[in-house]
Amino acid sequence: MKDKDSHWTRVLSLFLFVFVSLFLGMQTCLAQEAEQAEALQDSLAQPPAPPTNVVAKDAPNDNGHALLVIWTLSADDGAGQNNVVSYQILRSDSPDGEFEVRGLVPAGENTYKDKGAKEKEDANYLPPHKDFYYKVRVRSDGIFSDSEVSLPAHAYGQWYHTGKTAVLLAVLIFSTFALVFITVARKGKKLYIRPLAGIEAVDEAIGRATEMGKPILYILGLGSADMIATIASFTILSRVAKKTAEYQTPILIPCCDPIVMAVAQETVRAAYLEAGRPDDYKQENIYYLTSMQFAYVAGVNGIMIREKPATNFYLGKFYAESLLLAETGSLAGSIQISGTDEIAQIPFFVAATDYTLIGEELYAASAYLGREPVLLGTLKGQDWAKALVMIFLILGALAATFHFQFFLNLFKVQL
Amino acid sequence: MSGEVVGLWIGGILTLGIFSFIYKDNPFYKFSEALFVGVSAGYWFVVTFWQYFLPKLIDNLVLAYTVLTVEGKIDYHWVYLLGGGLGILMLLRLFPSVGWLSRWSLAFIVGTTAGLQFTRYLESNGIIQVKGTILSLFVWGDLNSTIGNIVIVVGTFCGLIYFFFSKEHKGAFGGAARVGVWFLMITFGALFGYTVMSRMSLLIGRMDFLFGNWLGLIK
Amino acid sequence: MNQENNQEVKSIWEKLLSIDRRIIFLFIAVAVAVPLFFKLSMRIPVTPVAQGTYQAIESLPAGSKVLASFDYDPGSMPELQPMAEAFFRHAFRNDLKVIIMGLWPQGPLQANIALEEVFQDEDIKAKSLQYGIDYVNLGFTAGNEVVIDRMGHSFEESYPKDGQGTPLSEIPLMRGVRNYDNVDLIFNLSAGYPGTQEWVQYAVDVFHVKLAAGNTAVQAPAMYPYVQTGQLSGVLGGMKGGAEYETLLGIPGRAVRYMFSQAVAHAVICMFIIIGNLAFFSIRKRKKTS
Repeated sequence: MKDKDSHWTRVLSLFLFVFVSLFLGMQTCLAQEAEQAEALQDSLAQPPAPPTNVVAKDAPNDNGHALLVIWTLSADDGAGQNNVVSYQILRSDSPDGEFEVRGLVPAGENTYKDKGAKEKEDANYLPPHKDFYYKVRVRSDGIFSDSEVSLPAHAYGQWYHTGKTAVLLAVLIFSTFALVFITVARKGKKLYIRPLAGIEAVDEAIGRATEMGKPILYILGLGSADMIATIASFTILSRVAKKTAEYQTPILIPCCDPIVMAVAQETVRAAYLEAGRPDDYKQENIYYLTSMQFAYVAGVNGIMIREKPATNFYLGKFYAESLLLAETGSLAGSIQISGTDEIAQIPFFVAATDYTLIGEELYAASAYLGREPVLLGTLKGQDWAKALVMIFLILGALAATFHFQFFLNLFKVQL
Repeated sequence: MSGEVVGLWIGGILTLGIFSFIYKDNPFYKFSEALFVGVSAGYWFVVTFWQYFLPKLIDNLVLAYTVLTVEGKIDYHWVYLLGGGLGILMLLRLFPSVGWLSRWSLAFIVGTTAGLQFTRYLESNGIIQVKGTILSLFVWGDLNSTIGNIVIVVGTFCGLIYFFFSKEHKGAFGGAARVGVWFLMITFGALFGYTVMSRMSLLIGRMDFLFGNWLGLIK
Repeated sequence: MNQENNQEVKSIWEKLLSIDRRIIFLFIAVAVAVPLFFKLSMRIPVTPVAQGTYQAIESLPAGSKVLASFDYDPGSMPELQPMAEAFFRHAFRNDLKVIIMGLWPQGPLQANIALEEVFQDEDIKAKSLQYGIDYVNLGFTAGNEVVIDRMGHSFEESYPKDGQGTPLSEIPLMRGVRNYDNVDLIFNLSAGYPGTQEWVQYAVDVFHVKLAAGNTAVQAPAMYPYVQTGQLSGVLGGMKGGAEYETLLGIPGRAVRYMFSQAVAHAVICMFIIIGNLAFFSIRKRKKTS
């Protein structure tokens, strides 16, 4: 009996214990839920902390129609309640006046450039030297809070763009090098240029044409007269034309640009005069063909097949027609000397012509042949600038490897 | 027969005419070439008149004149008179006695282009590219980037050595120039491949035109 | 026996090296033409540079304005026209506004040809796009890079009217578009000068505007340094670039279709290069030995 009683006592105690535990547990859960719900309600109702330290100032390095607004992020941006969605930037022309929305940036950003138009008639005109006041509104799902109004700021233009200092220094350094060496060259000092294979072959090529009694074909390329490659080609043409005048070898120059034709005629006429054979100059050998790229190529190819020149010069600006020209010249059995600064066409000239002046070698060739102080001086100036770049490259690579950021900052160009 | 069909046939026949040069020079090719050269010269003349001369010179001067007569103000479009004047000087080349005046126009073109391009090339193709080439020679944990950076720095340096004209390519300098030449030739090989791809693309376009648009054999 | 065989082998190499080039042309013609008759699709792996161009356009929210400069002529159509069509499909699918212009006289005409093609798509038709509201063609203006520079200050100075002669102030899409500050992206299709390089030099580096480009395969490698420095968001190179763009869009078009021909042609060229090099070195070796 006693055992039975104690058994039931134990069962009852266990039942009571479980019941009370469950009851208390439920109460706790409910309380916690209520607490959470309350907390959630509290958090939804509470706007994020406003941004602080709002500063408005003139946007640097511009024309005077923009202001820069900077602020300290809201305490709830990435921390605290972590409920910031975006920042709205508002502007007014008085601290108590009506503020208009100027822009919106996402959470995490703390700067905004308020850029206005410079034309007075424009609705977005931002007048310089006029005070504006800013405040920043932090937003989170329909609720927001505003910062304090900033101190007044006005926009004004800068005379000097500090972000372009690297460009200015580069211009000054390069110009100095060029001017110094031009002066040195003008004083008669011999400036050394290493020999170039393509140039040494020019005389041989012209001689070949004379022996064969065939003309020389000189193609100035498809560039206009203001392009560097075309200008370099004119200098070489002058030298070639003088030689052809001396050897009395005809030279044919079909042109793609009327202005280039005009300059070429001038150049060749001057060369023939210098060689003492002005009467041998034939203007009809230097003519305009067409300005359309492939039509020009078709025309020149026809000339090559019909006239069968002994020597072809392709010196200047070339595009897709380079291989077409070189292949046809090769078919016609001509010796070919080429040079262009158009990188994409150099492989074709290297493969299909006998001598190629690669890129800058074309400019060097014009300096080498022309021997004009300006050309020589600028080539030397370029060389020194290149040397400087090489030094910067090595030092920069070492600095980058050892994480010296200051070097990279030297080349920072602000856009 | 619609204009489009006529155009297709002319295009197809002239394409074959130009292609016939692959076999050998022939009258059919000569005719196609001459037609192409002539039509393109004529087309370019028309484009130059209607797209360059008329809108840039005539329309602007008419606008300036209208502003002067209607509002009595001198509009900045009168500056195009300077451009027109330089253009006329250019045409004076046709008259040998005053042909030298065309040099002024040429000098203007060459000078303004050089001035315009000087700082642009120095910034975009010089400084920003040098900055992009200053790379770390060792990137911890990234072998690909390490090798890539070394290749870029060494290739750029040796390429610059090759284009240095003030010293003959001898000794160590010559060795570096040789490395530069290797880099250049590998680059030219890649460019060659790209350009061959471009040519094949143009040929594919023509073949599609011949067999698809013209003959209708490709649906 | 060996000597005879050597001589036979040598003469084959010499014959191969002096083969009539017209036979090579025939091989190429067949390699290019025959695959066109087969509707075979190829897997097109996408390069990071092409991905950059796609992403630059894809990341734009609806309503963004894209200035599309068409700087090529019919000579580059096979490479650039598929890119133009893919671009318009991409832009209109994402509800972007497109301002078309050209620095080459034929460029804006090429844009119109691409539009005509794209407007035949059912999903584009359904959008009922209107000229002047969803897209506008400003046409061509002379001046090359000076136009690019000028447009950084005012579009209206370079383009007082659109290609149809309507003043810009009367075009709804152009209201509020004063200069590059009012466009979200420049997309350039270029075949030479003026082209992408000028857009980088005069627009990106002066006015800090985002630029994505498509170039002919000849020009594309020269643009890679600009991609490396971030001056260009990305570049589509040649017909392969067009095929990559179409693949990313999920709308395979002409460029993808042409890739099979391209692949076969490249294989034939590689074969000839290998044969040519083997022949060259074999003959050189024989000459050295003899």
